[in-house]
Amino acid sequence: MKYQGVKLQNLLAGEYVLGLLQGAARRRFERLLMESNSLRAEVSAWENRFAALGLALPSVPPPDYLWWRILGGLRREARPGRSTSGNTFWRAWAVAATLVLAVVLVTQHYVPAPEQKPAAVAMVSDAKGQPLWLISVHPEDKRIDMKAVVPNPPPAGKSYELWMLPQEGNPVPMGLMNDTGTKSEHVTAEQLARLAEAKGLAISVEPPGGSPTGLPTGPVVYIAALVAS
Amino acid sequence: MAASTAESEDRNRRLTDLLHATAQGRQAAFQELYRLVSPQLFAVLLRILKRRDLAEEALQDALLSVWRNAASYTAEKGAPMTWLLSICRYRALDSLRRRRREVSLGPILDQAEDGQDALSGLAGETAETNFLSKAEERALEDCMQRLNDGQRRSIRLAYVDGCTHEEIAASLKSPVGTVKSWVRRGLESLKRCLEAA
Repeated sequence: MKYQGVKLQNLLAGEYVLGLLQGAARRRFERLLMESNSLRAEVSAWENRFAALGLALPSVPPPDYLWWRILGGLRREARPGRSTSGNTFWRAWAVAATLVLAVVLVTQHYVPAPEQKPAAVAMVSDAKGQPLWLISVHPEDKRIDMKAVVPNPPPAGKSYELWMLPQEGNPVPMGLMNDTGTKSEHVTAEQLARLAEAKGLAISVEPPGGSPTGLPTGPVVYIAALVAS
Repeated sequence: MAASTAESEDRNRRLTDLLHATAQGRQAAFQELYRLVSPQLFAVLLRILKRRDLAEEALQDALLSVWRNAASYTAEKGAPMTWLLSICRYRALDSLRRRRREVSLGPILDQAEDGQDALSGLAGETAETNFLSKAEERALEDCMQRLNDGQRRSIRLAYVDGCTHEEIAASLKSPVGTVKSWVRRGLESLKRCLEAA
Protein backbone atom coordinates (compact mmCIF):
# COMPACT_ATOMS: atom_id res chain seq x y z
CA MET A 1 0.00 0.00 0.00
CA LYS A 2 1.36 3.40 -0.89
CA TYR A 3 1.01 6.13 1.66
CA GLN A 4 1.15 8.94 -0.84
CA GLY A 5 -1.82 11.05 -1.65
CA VAL A 6 -3.56 13.45 0.66
CA LYS A 7 -6.85 11.61 0.47
CA LEU A 8 -5.42 8.24 1.35
CA GLN A 9 -3.38 9.74 4.17
CA ASN A 10 -6.50 11.28 5.56
CA LEU A 11 -8.47 8.05 5.38
CA LEU A 12 -5.72 6.05 7.03
CA ALA A 13 -5.46 8.65 9.79
CA GLY A 14 -9.21 8.40 10.34
CA GLU A 15 -9.08 4.60 10.47
CA TYR A 16 -6.13 4.74 12.83
CA VAL A 17 -8.02 6.98 15.24
CA LEU A 18 -11.06 4.70 15.03
CA GLY A 19 -8.79 1.82 16.01
CA LEU A 20 -9.38 0.00 12.72
CA LEU A 21 -5.79 -0.32 11.50
CA GLN A 22 -4.52 -3.71 12.59
CA GLY A 23 -1.28 -5.64 12.64
CA ALA A 24 1.40 -4.71 10.12
CA ALA A 25 -0.66 -1.86 8.63
CA ARG A 26 -0.94 -0.22 12.05
CA ARG A 27 2.74 -0.67 12.81
CA ARG A 28 3.73 0.86 9.46
CA PHE A 29 1.36 3.74 10.08
CA GLU A 30 2.80 4.36 13.56
CA ARG A 31 6.28 4.32 12.10
CA LEU A 32 5.26 6.94 9.52
CA LEU A 33 3.66 9.03 12.26
CA MET A 34 7.09 9.44 13.83
CA GLU A 35 8.49 11.17 10.78
CA SER A 36 5.54 12.95 9.23
CA ASN A 37 4.22 16.16 10.72
CA SER A 38 1.37 16.28 8.24
CA LEU A 39 0.25 12.78 9.16
CA ARG A 40 0.40 13.65 12.86
CA ALA A 41 -1.74 16.70 12.14
CA GLU A 42 -4.28 14.51 10.35
CA VAL A 43 -4.43 12.18 13.33
CA SER A 44 -4.92 15.09 15.74
CA ALA A 45 -7.67 16.47 13.52
CA TRP A 46 -9.55 13.15 13.62
CA GLU A 47 -9.03 12.80 17.36
CA ASN A 48 -10.62 16.21 17.76
CA ARG A 49 -13.48 15.47 15.38
CA PHE A 50 -14.40 12.26 17.17
CA ALA A 51 -13.83 13.41 20.76
CA ALA A 52 -17.49 14.34 21.08
CA LEU A 53 -18.44 10.66 20.68
CA GLY A 54 -16.40 9.69 23.73
CA LEU A 55 -17.24 12.74 25.79
CA ALA A 56 -20.96 12.18 25.26
CA LEU A 57 -20.88 8.96 27.30
CA PRO A 58 -22.36 9.34 30.80
CA SER A 59 -19.46 9.65 33.21
CA VAL A 60 -18.65 6.80 35.60
CA PRO A 61 -16.51 7.64 38.66
CA PRO A 62 -13.68 5.16 39.11
CA PRO A 63 -13.39 3.47 42.52
CA ASP A 64 -11.63 5.47 45.27
CA TYR A 65 -8.75 3.01 45.52
CA LEU A 66 -7.66 3.71 41.96
CA TRP A 67 -6.18 7.07 42.93
CA TRP A 68 -4.11 5.26 45.56
CA ARG A 69 -2.73 2.89 43.02
CA ILE A 70 -1.82 5.78 40.74
CA LEU A 71 -0.20 7.54 43.68
CA GLY A 72 1.79 4.40 44.39
CA GLY A 73 3.01 4.50 40.80
CA LEU A 74 3.98 8.17 41.13
CA ARG A 75 5.98 7.54 44.25
CA ARG A 76 7.86 4.72 42.64
CA GLU A 77 8.99 7.07 39.93
CA ALA A 78 9.46 10.08 42.20
CA ARG A 79 11.33 12.87 40.55
CA PRO A 80 14.60 14.18 41.88
CA GLY A 81 15.06 17.77 42.96
CA ARG A 82 11.71 18.24 44.61
CA SER A 83 11.42 19.04 48.27
CA THR A 84 8.24 18.99 50.25
CA SER A 85 8.21 22.03 52.45
CA GLY A 86 7.13 21.41 55.98
CA ASN A 87 4.08 22.19 57.96
CA THR A 88 5.66 24.15 60.75
CA PHE A 89 3.01 23.33 63.30
CA TRP A 90 3.65 19.64 63.55
CA ARG A 91 7.30 19.98 62.75
CA ALA A 92 7.80 22.25 65.77
CA TRP A 93 5.79 19.80 67.80
CA ALA A 94 7.80 16.89 66.71
CA VAL A 95 11.11 18.57 67.38
CA ALA A 96 10.02 19.69 70.82
CA ALA A 97 8.95 16.20 71.71
CA THR A 98 11.36 13.37 72.18
CA LEU A 99 11.25 12.52 68.55
CA VAL A 100 11.53 9.16 67.02
CA LEU A 101 11.47 9.22 63.27
CA ALA A 102 11.09 5.90 61.67
CA VAL A 103 10.71 5.57 57.96
CA VAL A 104 10.52 1.93 57.21
CA LEU A 105 9.63 0.58 53.84
CA VAL A 106 7.42 -2.27 54.80
CA THR A 107 7.75 -5.46 52.90
CA GLN A 108 4.91 -7.68 51.95
CA HIS A 109 5.32 -10.20 54.76
CA TYR A 110 4.10 -7.78 57.40
CA VAL A 111 0.73 -7.62 55.69
CA PRO A 112 -1.84 -10.21 56.76
CA ALA A 113 -2.07 -12.65 53.88
CA PRO A 114 -5.82 -13.11 53.27
CA GLU A 115 -6.52 -9.36 53.40
CA GLN A 116 -6.85 -7.20 50.35
CA LYS A 117 -3.57 -5.37 49.80
CA PRO A 118 -3.57 -2.01 51.59
CA ALA A 119 -3.12 1.13 49.52
CA ALA A 120 -0.53 2.53 51.90
CA VAL A 121 1.28 1.49 55.03
CA ALA A 122 3.24 3.19 57.79
CA MET A 123 5.52 1.39 60.20
CA VAL A 124 5.80 3.08 63.57
CA SER A 125 9.08 2.14 65.25
CA ASP A 126 10.93 3.14 68.40
CA ALA A 127 14.37 4.75 68.55
CA LYS A 128 16.10 1.37 68.29
CA GLY A 129 14.15 0.45 65.16
CA GLN A 130 11.86 -1.98 66.95
CA PRO A 131 8.54 -1.96 65.05
CA LEU A 132 5.65 -1.00 67.34
CA TRP A 133 2.61 -0.67 65.08
CA LEU A 134 1.92 -1.36 61.44
CA ILE A 135 -0.71 1.05 60.20
CA SER A 136 -2.37 0.23 56.90
CA VAL A 137 -4.88 2.17 54.81
CA HIS A 138 -7.71 0.30 53.08
CA PRO A 139 -9.60 2.74 50.84
CA GLU A 140 -11.98 0.06 49.50
CA ASP A 141 -13.36 -0.47 53.01
CA LYS A 142 -12.83 3.12 54.16
CA ARG A 143 -10.77 2.01 57.13
CA ILE A 144 -7.31 2.09 58.58
CA ASP A 145 -5.91 -0.79 60.60
CA MET A 146 -3.51 -0.33 63.50
CA LYS A 147 -1.71 -3.56 64.23
CA ALA A 148 0.34 -3.64 67.41
CA VAL A 149 3.46 -5.60 66.51
CA VAL A 150 4.45 -5.81 70.19
CA PRO A 151 2.43 -4.83 73.28
CA ASN A 152 2.86 -1.10 73.60
CA PRO A 153 0.88 0.39 76.48
CA PRO A 154 0.86 4.18 76.89
CA PRO A 155 2.30 5.83 80.02
CA ALA A 156 0.13 5.31 83.12
CA GLY A 157 -3.07 7.36 83.03
CA LYS A 158 -2.54 8.42 79.41
CA SER A 159 -3.68 7.39 75.91
CA TYR A 160 -1.78 7.27 72.64
CA GLU A 161 -3.60 9.16 69.91
CA LEU A 162 -2.98 8.87 66.16
CA TRP A 163 -2.80 11.97 63.95
CA MET A 164 -2.66 12.47 60.23
CA LEU A 165 -0.21 15.17 59.16
CA PRO A 166 -1.80 16.75 56.09
CA GLN A 167 0.01 18.77 53.43
CA GLU A 168 -1.63 21.92 54.76
CA GLY A 169 -3.03 22.82 58.13
CA ASN A 170 -3.20 21.17 61.53
CA PRO A 171 -2.89 17.51 62.46
CA VAL A 172 -6.17 15.61 62.08
CA PRO A 173 -7.17 13.19 64.88
CA MET A 174 -7.49 9.61 63.61
CA GLY A 175 -8.41 7.75 66.82
CA LEU A 176 -6.75 6.19 69.84
CA MET A 177 -4.02 3.61 69.45
CA ASN A 178 -4.42 0.05 70.70
CA ASP A 179 -1.96 -1.59 73.14
CA THR A 180 -2.25 -5.00 71.52
CA GLY A 181 -3.93 -6.78 68.65
CA THR A 182 -5.34 -5.01 65.59
CA LYS A 183 -7.76 -2.12 65.77
CA SER A 184 -9.71 -0.80 62.79
CA GLU A 185 -10.86 2.79 62.51
CA HIS A 186 -13.46 3.98 60.04
CA VAL A 187 -12.31 6.89 57.89
CA THR A 188 -14.40 9.15 55.72
CA ALA A 189 -13.88 9.65 51.98
CA GLU A 190 -12.60 13.14 52.75
CA GLN A 191 -10.08 11.80 55.26
CA LEU A 192 -8.97 9.22 52.68
CA ALA A 193 -8.41 11.95 50.11
CA ARG A 194 -6.26 13.87 52.60
CA LEU A 195 -4.43 10.70 53.65
CA ALA A 196 -3.47 10.15 50.01
CA GLU A 197 -1.55 13.42 50.18
CA ALA A 198 -0.53 13.31 53.84
CA LYS A 199 3.07 13.89 54.91
CA GLY A 200 2.79 11.12 57.41
CA LEU A 201 1.29 10.00 60.70
CA ALA A 202 2.12 11.01 64.26
CA ILE A 203 1.31 9.59 67.67
CA SER A 204 1.02 11.83 70.72
CA VAL A 205 0.54 11.22 74.43
CA GLU A 206 -2.88 12.51 75.49
CA PRO A 207 -5.22 12.41 78.47
CA PRO A 208 -7.29 9.20 78.70
CA GLY A 209 -9.77 9.13 75.81
CA GLY A 210 -7.74 11.47 73.64
CA SER A 211 -7.04 15.16 73.17
CA PRO A 212 -9.87 17.35 74.47
CA THR A 213 -9.05 20.11 71.94
CA GLY A 214 -8.87 18.28 68.62
CA LEU A 215 -5.16 19.08 68.41
CA PRO A 216 -2.25 17.30 70.07
CA THR A 217 -1.86 18.50 73.67
CA GLY A 218 0.93 16.18 74.85
CA PRO A 219 4.31 15.27 73.33
CA VAL A 220 4.44 13.71 69.88
CA VAL A 221 6.41 10.56 70.51
CA TYR A 222 6.35 8.83 67.13
CA ILE A 223 6.19 9.93 63.52
CA ALA A 224 6.03 7.61 60.56
CA ALA A 225 5.93 8.13 56.82
CA LEU A 226 2.99 6.76 54.91
CA VAL A 227 4.23 4.72 51.99
CA ALA A 228 1.98 3.84 49.09
CA SER A 229 2.16 0.10 48.50
CA MET B 1 -26.87 19.80 28.99
CA ALA B 2 -23.82 20.94 27.14
CA ALA B 3 -21.71 23.77 28.41
CA SER B 4 -21.83 27.20 26.84
CA THR B 5 -18.82 28.17 24.75
CA ALA B 6 -17.53 30.43 27.54
CA GLU B 7 -17.85 27.64 30.12
CA SER B 8 -16.03 25.18 27.94
CA GLU B 9 -13.24 27.71 27.31
CA ASP B 10 -12.92 28.26 31.07
CA ARG B 11 -12.72 24.54 31.61
CA ASN B 12 -10.07 24.11 28.92
CA ARG B 13 -8.00 26.87 30.49
CA ARG B 14 -8.33 25.22 33.89
CA LEU B 15 -7.27 21.82 32.51
CA THR B 16 -4.33 23.40 30.69
CA ASP B 17 -3.22 25.10 33.94
CA LEU B 18 -3.43 21.77 35.75
CA LEU B 19 -1.48 19.97 33.02
CA HIS B 20 1.16 22.68 33.17
CA ALA B 21 1.46 22.34 36.96
CA THR B 22 1.54 18.56 36.60
CA ALA B 23 4.41 18.90 34.15
CA GLN B 24 6.30 20.69 36.93
CA GLY B 25 5.77 17.69 39.18
CA ARG B 26 3.06 19.21 41.36
CA GLN B 27 1.11 16.32 42.74
CA ALA B 28 -1.78 18.37 44.11
CA ALA B 29 -2.48 19.71 40.62
CA PHE B 30 -2.32 16.21 39.21
CA GLN B 31 -4.79 15.00 41.83
CA GLU B 32 -7.18 17.82 40.95
CA LEU B 33 -6.82 16.98 37.26
CA TYR B 34 -7.59 13.35 38.08
CA ARG B 35 -10.65 14.37 40.05
CA LEU B 36 -11.99 16.44 37.16
CA VAL B 37 -11.34 14.12 34.24
CA SER B 38 -11.32 10.56 35.57
CA PRO B 39 -15.11 9.92 35.58
CA GLN B 40 -15.39 10.75 31.87
CA LEU B 41 -12.23 8.85 30.93
CA PHE B 42 -13.30 5.85 32.98
CA ALA B 43 -16.65 5.79 31.15
CA VAL B 44 -14.85 5.67 27.79
CA LEU B 45 -12.51 2.91 28.96
CA LEU B 46 -15.32 0.83 30.45
CA ARG B 47 -17.27 1.07 27.21
CA ILE B 48 -14.34 -0.18 25.16
CA LEU B 49 -13.02 -2.79 27.57
CA LYS B 50 -16.35 -4.00 29.05
CA ARG B 51 -14.58 -5.09 32.24
CA ARG B 52 -13.97 -2.93 35.31
CA ASP B 53 -10.62 -4.50 36.18
CA LEU B 54 -9.26 -3.87 32.69
CA ALA B 55 -10.69 -0.34 32.61
CA GLU B 56 -9.08 0.42 35.99
CA GLU B 57 -5.74 -0.90 34.80
CA ALA B 58 -5.94 1.14 31.60
CA LEU B 59 -6.88 4.32 33.48
CA GLN B 60 -4.00 3.81 35.89
CA ASP B 61 -1.51 3.28 33.04
CA ALA B 62 -2.88 6.21 31.06
CA LEU B 63 -2.75 8.59 34.03
CA LEU B 64 0.81 7.60 34.90
CA SER B 65 1.70 8.32 31.30
CA VAL B 66 -0.01 11.73 31.65
CA TRP B 67 2.07 12.39 34.78
CA ARG B 68 5.27 11.59 32.88
CA ASN B 69 4.33 13.33 29.63
CA ALA B 70 2.25 16.32 30.72
CA ALA B 71 4.96 18.62 29.38
CA SER B 72 4.44 17.29 25.87
CA TYR B 73 0.88 18.60 25.70
CA THR B 74 0.50 21.51 23.27
CA ALA B 75 -2.58 23.23 21.93
CA GLU B 76 -2.00 21.82 18.45
CA LYS B 77 -2.85 18.40 19.86
CA GLY B 78 -6.36 19.68 20.52
CA ALA B 79 -8.22 20.61 23.68
CA PRO B 80 -6.64 19.16 26.84
CA MET B 81 -9.54 16.75 27.34
CA THR B 82 -9.20 15.50 23.78
CA TRP B 83 -5.54 14.80 24.37
CA LEU B 84 -6.29 12.93 27.61
CA LEU B 85 -9.08 11.02 25.94
CA SER B 86 -6.78 9.91 23.11
CA ILE B 87 -4.13 8.66 25.53
CA CYS B 88 -6.81 6.58 27.26
CA ARG B 89 -8.36 5.27 24.05
CA TYR B 90 -5.07 4.08 22.57
CA ARG B 91 -4.27 2.39 25.88
CA ALA B 92 -7.64 0.67 25.83
CA LEU B 93 -7.22 -0.42 22.20
CA ASP B 94 -3.84 -1.94 23.08
CA SER B 95 -5.39 -3.79 25.97
CA LEU B 96 -8.19 -5.00 23.71
CA ARG B 97 -5.71 -6.29 21.11
CA ARG B 98 -3.83 -8.22 23.77
CA ARG B 99 -7.10 -9.66 25.00
CA ARG B 100 -8.29 -10.62 21.52
CA ARG B 101 -5.22 -12.77 21.18
CA GLU B 102 -6.14 -14.55 24.41
CA VAL B 103 -9.88 -15.03 24.35
CA SER B 104 -12.61 -15.58 21.82
CA LEU B 105 -14.46 -12.58 20.52
CA GLY B 106 -17.93 -13.74 21.51
CA PRO B 107 -18.47 -11.82 24.74
CA ILE B 108 -17.05 -8.61 23.29
CA LEU B 109 -19.47 -8.76 20.38
CA ASP B 110 -22.51 -9.58 22.47
CA GLN B 111 -21.88 -6.68 24.76
CA ALA B 112 -21.12 -4.32 21.92
CA GLU B 113 -24.52 -5.08 20.47
CA ASP B 114 -26.27 -4.69 23.80
CA GLY B 115 -24.49 -1.50 24.52
CA GLN B 116 -25.31 0.08 21.22
CA ASP B 117 -28.73 1.34 22.16
CA ALA B 118 -27.39 2.78 25.38
CA LEU B 119 -25.54 5.34 23.29
CA SER B 120 -28.57 7.45 22.64
CA GLY B 121 -27.45 10.15 20.28
CA LEU B 122 -24.49 12.37 20.80
CA ALA B 123 -26.13 14.98 22.97
CA GLY B 124 -24.93 13.36 26.19
CA GLU B 125 -27.92 14.41 28.27
CA THR B 126 -26.73 12.32 31.18
CA ALA B 127 -23.11 13.42 31.20
CA GLU B 128 -22.46 15.35 34.41
CA THR B 129 -19.30 17.04 33.31
CA ASN B 130 -19.17 18.77 29.99
CA PHE B 131 -15.88 19.13 28.25
CA LEU B 132 -17.34 20.36 24.98
CA SER B 133 -19.40 23.35 24.10
CA LYS B 134 -22.87 22.86 22.70
CA ALA B 135 -21.58 24.03 19.30
CA GLU B 136 -18.80 21.44 19.26
CA GLU B 137 -21.18 18.66 20.25
CA ARG B 138 -23.73 19.66 17.69
CA ALA B 139 -21.24 19.93 14.84
CA LEU B 140 -20.35 16.24 15.00
CA GLU B 141 -23.88 15.13 15.76
CA ASP B 142 -25.29 16.98 12.74
CA CYS B 143 -22.69 15.51 10.44
CA MET B 144 -23.12 11.99 11.86
CA GLN B 145 -26.85 12.29 11.18
CA ARG B 146 -26.12 12.88 7.49
CA LEU B 147 -24.34 9.55 7.13
CA ASN B 148 -26.32 6.51 6.10
CA ASP B 149 -27.20 4.01 8.78
CA GLY B 150 -24.41 1.55 7.99
CA GLN B 151 -21.76 4.26 7.88
CA ARG B 152 -22.92 5.82 11.15
CA ARG B 153 -23.20 2.56 13.06
CA SER B 154 -19.86 1.27 11.76
CA ILE B 155 -18.04 4.41 12.86
CA ARG B 156 -19.69 4.38 16.28
CA LEU B 157 -18.96 0.71 16.88
CA ALA B 158 -15.31 1.35 16.00
CA TYR B 159 -14.78 4.54 17.97
CA VAL B 160 -17.00 3.98 20.99
CA ASP B 161 -16.80 0.20 21.38
CA GLY B 162 -13.36 -0.44 19.93
CA CYS B 163 -14.73 -3.02 17.45
CA THR B 164 -12.66 -4.32 14.53
CA HIS B 165 -13.98 -4.46 10.94
CA GLU B 166 -14.81 -8.13 11.49
CA GLU B 167 -16.68 -7.47 14.73
CA ILE B 168 -18.64 -4.64 13.15
CA ALA B 169 -19.51 -6.92 10.24
CA ALA B 170 -20.78 -9.59 12.63
CA SER B 171 -22.68 -7.04 14.68
CA LEU B 172 -24.37 -5.43 11.65
CA LYS B 173 -24.71 -8.76 9.82
CA SER B 174 -22.97 -7.39 6.75
CA PRO B 175 -19.89 -8.46 4.77
CA VAL B 176 -16.53 -7.15 5.95
CA GLY B 177 -15.94 -5.50 2.56
CA THR B 178 -19.15 -3.53 2.92
CA VAL B 179 -18.18 -2.38 6.41
CA LYS B 180 -14.77 -1.24 5.14
CA SER B 181 -16.35 0.88 2.46
CA TRP B 182 -18.98 2.24 4.90
CA VAL B 183 -16.16 3.39 7.16
CA ARG B 184 -14.17 5.02 4.34
CA ARG B 185 -17.18 6.75 2.79
CA GLY B 186 -18.33 7.77 6.26
CA LEU B 187 -14.94 9.28 7.06
CA GLU B 188 -14.92 11.19 3.76
CA SER B 189 -18.41 12.58 4.32
CA LEU B 190 -17.69 13.52 7.93
CA LYS B 191 -14.55 15.40 7.00
CA ARG B 192 -16.33 17.31 4.22
CA CYS B 193 -19.29 18.07 6.44
CA LEU B 194 -17.23 19.22 9.44
CA GLU B 195 -14.96 21.37 7.32
CA ALA B 196 -17.96 23.05 5.70
CA ALA B 197 -19.58 23.74 9.08
